[in-house]
Amino acid sequence: MVTAVDAAAVAKPVAPQRGGLWRYILIRLILIIPTVFILVTVVFLLMRVTGDPITAALGGRLPPDQLAERIAQAGYDRPLYVQYFEYIGGVFRGDFGNTLTDGRPVVDILLQYGAATLELAFYALIVAFVLGIPLGLLAAYKRDRWQDAALRIAAILGYATPIFFLGMVLKLIFSVGLGILPVAGRAGTRTQLKLQSLDDPTGIYLIDAFRIGDPGAVGDVLLHAILPALALGILTAGIFLRLVRTNVIGTLGAQYVTSARSRGVGEYRLVTKNAYRPALIPIVTVIGLQIAMLLAGAVLTETTFEWNGIGFMLSEYLKARDFVAVQGIVVMIAVVVAITNFIVDVVAALIDPRVRY
Amino acid sequence: MSLHHSTRGRLGLAVGALGASAILLAGCAGGGGDSASGGSSDEPLIIGTTDKITSIDPAGSYDNGSFAVMNQVYPFLFNSAYGTSDVTPDIAESGEFTSPTEYTVTLKPGLTFANGNELTASDVKFSFDRQLAIADENGPSSLLGNLDSVAAPDDTTVVFTLKNGNDQTWEQILSSPAAPIVDEDVFSADAVTSDDDIVAGNAFAGQYVIDSDSPNELISYVPNPDYGGSLPAAANGGVTVSYYTDASNLKLDVSSGEVDVAFRSLSATDIDDLSSDDAVKIVEGPGGETRYIVFNFDTMPFGAGTAEADAAKSLAVRQAMADLIDREAIAEDVYKGTYTPLYSFVPQGLSGATEPLKELYGDGDGGPDADKAASTLEAAGITEPVQLNLQYNGDHYGPSSGDEYAAVKSQLEEGGLFTVNLAQTEWVQYSKDRTSDVYPMYQLGWFPDYSDADNYLTPFFSADNFLVNHYENAEVQELITTQASQTDEATRADEIGQIQQLVAEDLSTLPLLQGTQVAVVGADVEGTTLDGSFKFRYAPLHK
Repeated sequence: MVTAVDAAAVAKPVAPQRGGLWRYILIRLILIIPTVFILVTVVFLLMRVTGDPITAALGGRLPPDQLAERIAQAGYDRPLYVQYFEYIGGVFRGDFGNTLTDGRPVVDILLQYGAATLELAFYALIVAFVLGIPLGLLAAYKRDRWQDAALRIAAILGYATPIFFLGMVLKLIFSVGLGILPVAGRAGTRTQLKLQSLDDPTGIYLIDAFRIGDPGAVGDVLLHAILPALALGILTAGIFLRLVRTNVIGTLGAQYVTSARSRGVGEYRLVTKNAYRPALIPIVTVIGLQIAMLLAGAVLTETTFEWNGIGFMLSEYLKARDFVAVQGIVVMIAVVVAITNFIVDVVAALIDPRVRY
Repeated sequence: MSLHHSTRGRLGLAVGALGASAILLAGCAGGGGDSASGGSSDEPLIIGTTDKITSIDPAGSYDNGSFAVMNQVYPFLFNSAYGTSDVTPDIAESGEFTSPTEYTVTLKPGLTFANGNELTASDVKFSFDRQLAIADENGPSSLLGNLDSVAAPDDTTVVFTLKNGNDQTWEQILSSPAAPIVDEDVFSADAVTSDDDIVAGNAFAGQYVIDSDSPNELISYVPNPDYGGSLPAAANGGVTVSYYTDASNLKLDVSSGEVDVAFRSLSATDIDDLSSDDAVKIVEGPGGETRYIVFNFDTMPFGAGTAEADAAKSLAVRQAMADLIDREAIAEDVYKGTYTPLYSFVPQGLSGATEPLKELYGDGDGGPDADKAASTLEAAGITEPVQLNLQYNGDHYGPSSGDEYAAVKSQLEEGGLFTVNLAQTEWVQYSKDRTSDVYPMYQLGWFPDYSDADNYLTPFFSADNFLVNHYENAEVQELITTQASQTDEATRADEIGQIQQLVAEDLSTLPLLQGTQVAVVGADVEGTTLDGSFKFRYAPLHK
């Protein structure tokens, strides 16, 4: 039973509280710490389920006494909890240890290859936006007609097709068959040489190519990005398409759209003006989830296209059983996903104040 | 302007921009990027490879990919001239045994590293001392097992004191992965030095210096004007090596001209396919690689550690397997001629190599003989089909290993003498298991450390060999020791022949194939040198 007071409270419009946004941001920020802490713990324990990393990587290649010496040197003969607290401390100091295979600091690997993966994820998001949103609007506009059905099937195919398979098909068509796009790599060898000549490269080839002021290098970098970006972006584009279509159709049933329709506003205009912007708000939230999927998908895309990013390195270190490197990369990906979700939550709260409550 | 028109306008603008961008990109890439036409003469030659680099510190790696880098940038006391497997002085002026256990090298005068540091006998002593001191598990220090100490009495004299006198492999070892000469002012004496420090220190004195280095992605080399060795100066303006993970990507890029030279390791199918491509040339050279089956003398059927242990029956099983194997079919059907049949343990082309298995087994001319295999087993009292558990690896010896061992299984099962249980294990686990008596018989391959028959005998058939397969033959062991210090070449070749004959009778391993070196180069690329040194030279390549 609803009392008069309750009814009044319900009827009263919700006004944003002073400082509500900052409080929301602070809480979300604080939540990152336990999230990352749990992730680091889980990754650490999973990596140690089958024993210490040195035995995993070098067991059988070294005599038992040398193996034991290496294990002792690295401290893997100590109790697990001691290793755990030391690792946690290292992570908070930004020290993820050194790789077993080449002895490089894992942080250097993350910095060197992380930029490449972010660049690929950025291109993939562009593909997702460029394909997903207009086609989603078109599907909504043509709802229940053959165009809508075709687009929905395409969307399902888009996110149901394994990335590596899609990547191989794209390579076969555009690289092997038509010969119009590069087959692999982030840039051609000569362009890479030019990029290496930069004193302080960002690692993001497009930016570096602009910095050296060579249009040919810029074109080469972008040409190399097309197929990997398509392979990775089509999955997200399919999700965006479905989301935009559903939300636009839902918004078209809203009272203010009905009013506009009754005033004689055409269906195309209703879609592109009245229903378009509100339908995009959920996309912002979904992007947060998609970042995690893009990073996971990057492992397959980077391997297929020899895109030297963190996903490619992760697969290489997994093959070499370099669990120190694997652990560092997985933790870094987890942290990036946590931070991205935080940013997305804040942006969503800025767009729609109701999110804060 | 209404929103309707504005949105449509923006869409039109976007489509137009995309189209314009595509045209611009195509134009840009054709102009300044990597064109399909390849580089012009003033551009560096581009080499593509699927090899990996572990470390460019000679103490920290012992693999083909790393050694390929070392061959270009570090000097050696001895090296092979182009086209031969024999070694002659490189930065050494001379080298000789001054007593049975002392090998004295005189350096050429005025040698320098690219960073300006003098290259003296002290650097040579440092290079060998640190190999032994570091003894990294990924390094080649085991090749220096006969080295007792090194002395540098003056700037141009180095005296190696050896444990066993008159070591006939010593000059070869001075050209091996254990012997690049490094700068004592840049390299650590007791730890593997990082690639970054080496490149930053410009510690190179070979035919090239590394201009820029991105590990396992791209390495750029420029000719070293200060190289003081005996090999010719670089015939090109520089070389860039691009590292691939997927051989099929490398194949496409060499076919399109994106890379000028593809060396290691295109599949046999890819090479066969490229052989009809006018844009490229296939260059072949003698191969030092051998592929073979290892028998574990304890765990194979009738092995010493089994319940039905019987040395004669165990030998008969190995001999019958040798009778059934059709190497020619494997070489042609699986490897399209990129491997050739191997009838001994030492590859053809090396001094002392013979072909004892050709006569001993099969039809007497290298072909299989099922009747002979049946007779061999019957004579040993084996009347029932023997179950063979044969292990191979699919991720270390190339993608065709699966096909190779499917063919082996099919051949061994011919006539119903054997039933073969074929199994595969990934490399990391495989390398652990094979030395732990897990596999009764298994696949291995071998790339030589240096071009001498000894490198195909000592590691396999001496006591405490690296196969750990419990094979031991005192006569073989004695001959291995004798030939290593035999100064008479003809006598040494005879002793090497005797070892091959004895091991062929024992069949500790079953040789299958010998690899050829194959490079795929652009039609306009000259100077590809593939010889018995098994060192791929960048310097003679040119357009």
